[in-house]
Amino acid sequence: MTDSPSHGLGVGDDGAADNEGGNLEQEMLEAARSLSRPAAAQSSMTSDLSIDEELTLHSIGWEPIELVCGVSLHAVPMGVWNWGQGEITYASGAYMSSFATATERIHRECAKAGGHGVVGVHVEWAVHRHHIDVTLVGTAVRPVGSKRVAAESVFVSDLSGRDFTLLHASGWAPLGLAAGASFVYAPRRSMGTAMKQKSQNVELTNFTEAMYAARESAMERMQQSAIAMRGTGVVEVKVTEGPMAFAHHAVGFTAYGTVVHLVAEQHRSLAPTTVLPLDDAVRAFDATSLRGT
Amino acid sequence: MAEVADDLPEAAGRRFADGAFSSGLTVPDFAACLQMGLEPVGYVQGFCVMQWGWRGMASPYGGFGAPNQGGPGSYTESWRCPHGFVSAEHRGWGQNFEQSWVEDAWVQGFSSAYERMVEEATSLGAHGVVGLVDTSGRLGDLGVLEFRVQGTAVRVKEGPAPVDGRPWTTYLAGQRLAKLIEAGYAPVSITAGVASVRIWAYCITEYLTEGSATAWGSQMAGAEIEQTAKAHMAVRRIAREHVRAQLGGDSLHGASLVTTERELGQGDAELQCILRGNRVRRFKSFDPIPAPRPTVRLS
Repeated sequence: MTDSPSHGLGVGDDGAADNEGGNLEQEMLEAARSLSRPAAAQSSMTSDLSIDEELTLHSIGWEPIELVCGVSLHAVPMGVWNWGQGEITYASGAYMSSFATATERIHRECAKAGGHGVVGVHVEWAVHRHHIDVTLVGTAVRPVGSKRVAAESVFVSDLSGRDFTLLHASGWAPLGLAAGASFVYAPRRSMGTAMKQKSQNVELTNFTEAMYAARESAMERMQQSAIAMRGTGVVEVKVTEGPMAFAHHAVGFTAYGTVVHLVAEQHRSLAPTTVLPLDDAVRAFDATSLRGT
Repeated sequence: MAEVADDLPEAAGRRFADGAFSSGLTVPDFAACLQMGLEPVGYVQGFCVMQWGWRGMASPYGGFGAPNQGGPGSYTESWRCPHGFVSAEHRGWGQNFEQSWVEDAWVQGFSSAYERMVEEATSLGAHGVVGLVDTSGRLGDLGVLEFRVQGTAVRVKEGPAPVDGRPWTTYLAGQRLAKLIEAGYAPVSITAGVASVRIWAYCITEYLTEGSATAWGSQMAGAEIEQTAKAHMAVRRIAREHVRAQLGGDSLHGASLVTTERELGQGDAELQCILRGNRVRRFKSFDPIPAPRPTVRLS
């Protein structure tokens, strides 16, 4: 060991630092000393949760155990994005199948690791002209020291550790991920309609109807999926909508979220404490206003 | 005064001997470090520039060649065409296989940069390195990749000498590091693992990814692209296995799993998955914090 240069920081010389950080300093020292001992024989965990999420999970007696994932890609045949009418069933089916298969795989990994569920699932999906991909990555969790549960009762959820803790405290529990998608053609306008609407700001009913159809079908599918899980509702729903980058006459709407149900006898009120922070951002003085610009 | 290792750059030696510390910490992180009894002693860094180009194998198609056997213990999986002989260009078989030479090169670049940083920290007499940042990036269009690992070396007040003379390292700093300690985990080191899987598409994968599968029967039209899906699952599994192998009974905390795909042809691709995180060791038994009190802000 070599001597370190002295920078005169005086760590610990400051009374305030000693008083406020005394315990922390002691724990840091204990942590540093523990490194000379080998790791305990207990099984190790892997997790992509932040330390805040892990601490909130600990506060309700849960712990992370394993980083898990599920991926699926389904094909979309050539020509289905061409002009047409109604729903593009191959594309909607490919999204739903990819989501279901990816969920099944992450579910299987969680059950194999002995998890009771997966939290903080990062959902990534992409619609390509000829395939739709879904990737799910999250952390399997369980109540500390608990035994395995039956595979069918394992849940998959995109709720963060904080949201899972809040839900748990309110007497609710996640059941799984529900998804819905619909891709619909916005049909061509007739030549006469297109000519009449030229140079006017008018409603394009073909697009309005296509967006309506896509939204309603996708939301209905997500809701059906939630009902199939015997859920009460879906929280943290994320939606995307709009035309496809490679086929502007086709619009898509996707939605997914976590299905929840009440496990307590009744909803438990959290009764939050109201706080008034005193550190509001001060409106900064803007020197350019003096120049009248 | 610090004894600077012989093979460190001269400028680094002068910087470390100057008697003032440099750090990559923000002011709040700096304050939190002092509260934990951590004294910053210097900003330490390690770099490694690697020649980085496409080192794949030549196309296997156009014949009835045998699939690549892969290295010992490495992932490989192959598929056979169900159509029989169609033409010389027909992709009669396909394969997913682990590119261990790509993984070895990545590990060499990352480890060299990391070890150089650790060497700087050791020469400062540091006990640990906090707020570590590792990046990699191409240097112009020279076909080279630079690995960079940087962090702030610290000493623990009255702390023991590092185990085997090697300082512990962590991506965390400030309050997040303080919370890690309070949660009962000691930082051991950062950990990173990489997996590289190559997809040589066989005819079915080719048809499904180009959308022409209906020509071979409508039952394939919306099917799962099994070969590609299996490659994606495999590359993530291998990266996790590589990191697991480094943990030695410890845990991986705050992990980041990033997968990239490079298309090389119709259905052909190279997948790379990098998993990194903090290797931590439990130093006190599980002691949950009291349930946090929910609050609502008035603003």
